[in-house]
Amino acid sequence: MRNSVVRTAATIVGFLLVAALLPVCLSGFQLQQVSIAISYAIAILGLNLLMGFAGQICLAQGTLFGIGAYVTAILNATYGVHPLATLPAAAAVTALAGLVVGLPALRLQGLQLAIITFGVAAAFPQLLLKLGTWTGGVSGLPIDSLEPPAFLADYSELWLYLVSLGCACVAAMIVRLVLFGDVGRALRAQRDSSQIAEALGVNLTKTKLWAFAISSALAGLAGGVFAILNGFISPQSFLAPLSITIVIGSIVGGSTSIVGAFVGGLFITFVPTWTSNINLALGNVIYALALIGIMLLARGGVAGLVDRLTAALTTRSNPNGKAGQSAN
Amino acid sequence: MQEHIGAYLPVLAANGVSVRFGGVQALDNVSLDVGDGEICGLIGPNGAGKTTFLNAITCLTRPQRGSIQLSGRTISDAAVRDIIGLGIARTFQNVGVYGSLSVLENVMLGAHHKMGGKFVRALLNPVGAWAEEKAVRRQAEAILEELGMSALSAARADSLPYPLQKRMEIARALAAEPRLLLLDEPAGGLTHGEVSEFGKLITTIRHSRKLSILLIEHHMGLVMSLCDRIHVFHLGRNLASGRPKEIRTNEAVIAAYLGRSE
Ligand SMILES: Nc1ncnc2c1ncn2[C@@H]1O[C@H](COP(=O)(O)OP(=O)(O)OP(=O)(O)O)[C@@H](O)[C@H]1O
Ligand SMILES: [Mg+2]
Repeated sequence: MRNSVVRTAATIVGFLLVAALLPVCLSGFQLQQVSIAISYAIAILGLNLLMGFAGQICLAQGTLFGIGAYVTAILNATYGVHPLATLPAAAAVTALAGLVVGLPALRLQGLQLAIITFGVAAAFPQLLLKLGTWTGGVSGLPIDSLEPPAFLADYSELWLYLVSLGCACVAAMIVRLVLFGDVGRALRAQRDSSQIAEALGVNLTKTKLWAFAISSALAGLAGGVFAILNGFISPQSFLAPLSITIVIGSIVGGSTSIVGAFVGGLFITFVPTWTSNINLALGNVIYALALIGIMLLARGGVAGLVDRLTAALTTRSNPNGKAGQSAN
Repeated sequence: MQEHIGAYLPVLAANGVSVRFGGVQALDNVSLDVGDGEICGLIGPNGAGKTTFLNAITCLTRPQRGSIQLSGRTISDAAVRDIIGLGIARTFQNVGVYGSLSVLENVMLGAHHKMGGKFVRALLNPVGAWAEEKAVRRQAEAILEELGMSALSAARADSLPYPLQKRMEIARALAAEPRLLLLDEPAGGLTHGEVSEFGKLITTIRHSRKLSILLIEHHMGLVMSLCDRIHVFHLGRNLASGRPKEIRTNEAVIAAYLGRSE
């Protein structure tokens, strides 16, 4: 117990330290890229709750991300709502959409659910084109750029970074609260054995739908942040492979980890660019090798690997090992 | 079939329960009752239908016929997840533990039905959720202490040897604060000496909580010494029921266990 409090505190301090150092070390453009990575990290946080802890597969997280982005864009471009004020609506609308996407999960599991949710992801860009009157069709929608407060007047990238970081902290807090205590145990229990969970009184329907709703709300928030960061969105930003990319981010970072979501967000934002910088023609091959390498080295993702290493260093005296799923 | 002794109030009363799996008649018109505060044994050769009967009580299997009542209330059409809240907790024959969770977390899951997995509360009232968590943790730790498993509370459940996993399942069932405890071969994997120690443990927890217990066991010594009454199933039917010494000398029971048909 004490041990896990210390670890959580250490994780938070380390996270804040890195977050504070980044603006100092990076150029304006790089900081902008990190902000984008953070918006993906928020969507991955949601997916980690859903996939890592609730055990439900969802290959439509990129679509839900897109729905959030469009809610923000439409509210801002069409109705003139302040971009930041659109974010709660983006989360709420996307949560409802996520409930619909999650309905099949009440009867189906695993691959079947994967296929159905991916169908949603595949249909989404065309749906956006069809609904051109609201979505602006191919030409997309602009979003007002955020005015930084006076004391940050000349640092708009820093302001955007702080906004996305703030949203990410809220998202991380939400996931942490859900994973704490009885609700978190019920989530993991129905993931590991639905029959035993039911015998223990877990309401499977309610638990799964909440997991979908919260995961989708975070995807929606993430999409809203993404739209604000970009200043412009079009169907091109939300093609079906984005959903796969987000799943990859979740797995690479460690799908039962909060910090892992940030690792995953950074990974899917930066690594594809880096690998094609190494060699333009072989970029995808190098990226693929990187993925394979990480999976061979760390089945629980980067966060899982770090966990294992620290556990090996600190709990040598405890032969039974500590129970996993620390959610740091 | 049933004998009613004195002012006898059954906590559990099952009447004419039949369960069929395809061509297998796993239970054929069986009746069984467990009195208030009683430890009842349920014995019978392999395949007699004992586990199926527990599954029927806990609604994991729906009987084709028969009624099941808990303190006079019909529960056979209850939802699976409501059973534990009605006061019936169980352990599973092939252990139903969560291997990736800690022992303490497994035990705390027993109290889930009292908290109900409230997402809104978790999000909007974290202080309340935290206080509740602390109370449940203290209760679970006390149970682990009582069962002599305190030292293992932080260990992963699947790192425990099989008999301790079974004991942890009992701890989890106790955390549910049931009226009726259903134990499916809880002493499986125990050595001879451990079995008698286990018997003492069951007696202790029964008295400290005024529990009624239905115990499925193959260790005859344990069943005979522990139980107030014993029900015997054979080939999905009631074969006998009565006090241990009646069962021990019952011809039909002896025949069933020797593998002869009556
Ligand atoms: N889900 C099922 N599907 C089909 N047949 C089943 C199922 N569950 C049990 N049976 C059959 O029902 C009969 C009774 O099984 P049950 O597990 O209840 O016996 P048991 O008395 O618990 O035996 P044991 O002492 O071996 O645990 C057996 O013939 C078994 O094969
Ligand atoms: Mg059995």
